[in-house]
Amino acid sequence: MDTDMDVDVPMQDVATTTTTTQLLSDDEEHSITPTSQETTSKIIDLSRTKSSVPLNLNDSNINQLDAWIEKLSNCEFLSEDDVERLCKMAVDVIQFEENVKPIQVPVTICGDIHGQFHDLMELFKIGGPCPDNNYLFMGDYVDRGYYSVETVSFLVAMKIRYPNRITILRGNHESRQITQVYRFYDECLRKYGSANVWKMFTDLFDYFPITALVDNKIFCLHGGLSPMIETIDQVRELDRIQEVPHEGPMCDLLWSDPDDRGGWGISPRGAGFTFGQDISEQFNHTNGLDLIARAHQLVMDGYSWSHPNNVVTIFSAPNYCYRCGNQAAIMEVDENHNKQFLQYDPSVRPGAPTVSRKTPDYFL
Amino acid sequence: MSQDLRRKLILKQLDKLNNNEEIPNSNLDTLGQLPSFPKKSISKEKQHTRNLKNDALQLPSWKDFFTKNEVVTLKDRNFQFNTYFTLPTSHKNNSVTYSENLTTSSSTADCTIPIYIFHHGAGSSGLSFANLAKEVYERSSGKCGCFSFDARGHGKTVPIDPTKPISYGREIFVQDFKSLITWFYQTQLIEIFSSKQNEKKHISLILVGHSLGGSICTFVHPSLDKMIRSHVLGVAMFDIVEEAAILALEKVDHFLKNTPNAFNSYEDAIGWYMKHKLSRTKTSAEIAVPSLFAPVEGDTSQVTRITNLKDFSPYWSTWFTDLSHSFVTLPTAKLLILAGDDRLDKELIIGQMQGKYQLVVFQDSGHFIQEDSPMKTALTLLEFWKRNDNTNVIIKSNWGSSTNKNQ
Repeated sequence: MDTDMDVDVPMQDVATTTTTTQLLSDDEEHSITPTSQETTSKIIDLSRTKSSVPLNLNDSNINQLDAWIEKLSNCEFLSEDDVERLCKMAVDVIQFEENVKPIQVPVTICGDIHGQFHDLMELFKIGGPCPDNNYLFMGDYVDRGYYSVETVSFLVAMKIRYPNRITILRGNHESRQITQVYRFYDECLRKYGSANVWKMFTDLFDYFPITALVDNKIFCLHGGLSPMIETIDQVRELDRIQEVPHEGPMCDLLWSDPDDRGGWGISPRGAGFTFGQDISEQFNHTNGLDLIARAHQLVMDGYSWSHPNNVVTIFSAPNYCYRCGNQAAIMEVDENHNKQFLQYDPSVRPGAPTVSRKTPDYFL
Repeated sequence: MSQDLRRKLILKQLDKLNNNEEIPNSNLDTLGQLPSFPKKSISKEKQHTRNLKNDALQLPSWKDFFTKNEVVTLKDRNFQFNTYFTLPTSHKNNSVTYSENLTTSSSTADCTIPIYIFHHGAGSSGLSFANLAKEVYERSSGKCGCFSFDARGHGKTVPIDPTKPISYGREIFVQDFKSLITWFYQTQLIEIFSSKQNEKKHISLILVGHSLGGSICTFVHPSLDKMIRSHVLGVAMFDIVEEAAILALEKVDHFLKNTPNAFNSYEDAIGWYMKHKLSRTKTSAEIAVPSLFAPVEGDTSQVTRITNLKDFSPYWSTWFTDLSHSFVTLPTAKLLILAGDDRLDKELIIGQMQGKYQLVVFQDSGHFIQEDSPMKTALTLLEFWKRNDNTNVIIKSNWGSSTNKNQ
């Protein structure tokens, strides 16, 4: 298989990348599904190990978490055993959160990260360190960027360590199916040699809350509205502990986009819907809201108002995929509900290893 | 080199044949099925099969995949286009259930009839879509139509006057495609639906192009006659990304050097394509690969490649320029199916991340998606039609019902 060196896209472990790619594409029957690639027999089932009571932080696990956080903040990923411990602890925090997680002001609201670990560190520099500041992330921590493992491990560790300071919602990329296409799966295979870590994280994603409500005024979620969800109470009734479905209200909340056209529309994405200004206004009115804050769409300035100020889109991955040239932003909401956007550019990443990007032999 | 000379010689004879209605019988024996005169094609197909030395070999024919094979002479294009198509047979019961929130209407009157119009890529042929066309047709229970053809320089499509200069620029392919869509619409689709009152307004055209064909589908859309364009429901491209395609063009020379132009038999050619994973599904390769080759003259089963990709090299620079931007901004529904991984360029990433089109990745497929994954592709194309069929889809909402209850 021919590979071309692409110097402008840094990445580690070129050799193993190629091996992984071949592993995935060179089978004769092309029937191997990613999950069958697991090389160890160890099967971790988070649903069986989860506790019936929330995790109790003690000196021992605080020390453990602090050590992990320090390691991760240097962009070093945890061992597989540590990821297992991390995910087991995380389930016992996250499973007890509500579908609509209540949040107090002040809080800083953030959009897509997509494995751009160094930009996440930049985000905390711009927005102020956690736990001194409260953070709400609206999903899409993994895929496409090169450090999805470090990014999601870090955010999950922070979530366990400071459960009341940081909230991590689920995005449409926090799903088994999507991560197999957009490379979180490959990254796990490359970094751990098996799919165990991918399996643990994607199992954990099932427990992530899907929406948050800031002071009963700002409804926060990854995608947008659903024609099946008219009230926030209807979100509370959903059974969220599952893979993101292909359709239905939970899918819509993670996939929909606001649109210039009024009413509901078919989404060009192939999942979720588009919703117009009339829909946003009605939803905000019905639920006594000021604003819907969401992520999911790349906006060149990092944030963008629509409908005209019923919906705000926040995107926190600067120069998305290391090539889109967009700014990133986060939204600070203070005690008086004043909103301030902080924009930032991509951080300088250390080193400049090269990545092999496949170009087809024949593309006519 | 000698291969190439022989190939050219045969192609020259081919041109002569196609420009001469009076074909000497002696020539027919050796050139078998090559000239495309559909009305006589049945006997020729049989003749061809018998001609092959390998008796065990029973290659499928276009008839196993399409109902019609017509040569369309377009004088203003200076070409006789070899076309294959299947018209929808049953469009009485269009009741389709879609999903929880989307329902499709159950009455025939509200449901469009999808017609998939295929354009192959460079070096391929109209039969590359044979297996897919059959899958789509069968999976829609005969409700959809399919149209495929050999583009200029490919398959059995030949120039009317070969002495006239022939261009292979994108705009030329686009104009050919436009003329053929117009021909198909005016002669085949209207004929079928005009008998029933107003039925023709319920046709949905879905333009589907593989590789270079994807580029041609994108660029033909704005150039279509307004009335025909109003029927276009969407554009689908298979495994084409502007940036990657332009990069890959640099490697075509390398590719051509390693690609034989002649084989001892059709079976050998199929075997080579399968072995090199250029076509990964046998049933697709058996119909698609032979259409790329013509028998060599003489008492032999040898076959030689029809299309010389090298002839196209002066035009390569025109083929993919501005494709990603044009695709993302097309004012219609858009579907991009990629093979392997999401090898998007900047324009396509931004477009995808802004929700401008649907991206589907077939990780287990090679470049020739329609040949490698005909079933999955067919299902994706049918979903694409159902989902984007405005006359068909009603978005179910429970808004209003709950507040009424609460009041």
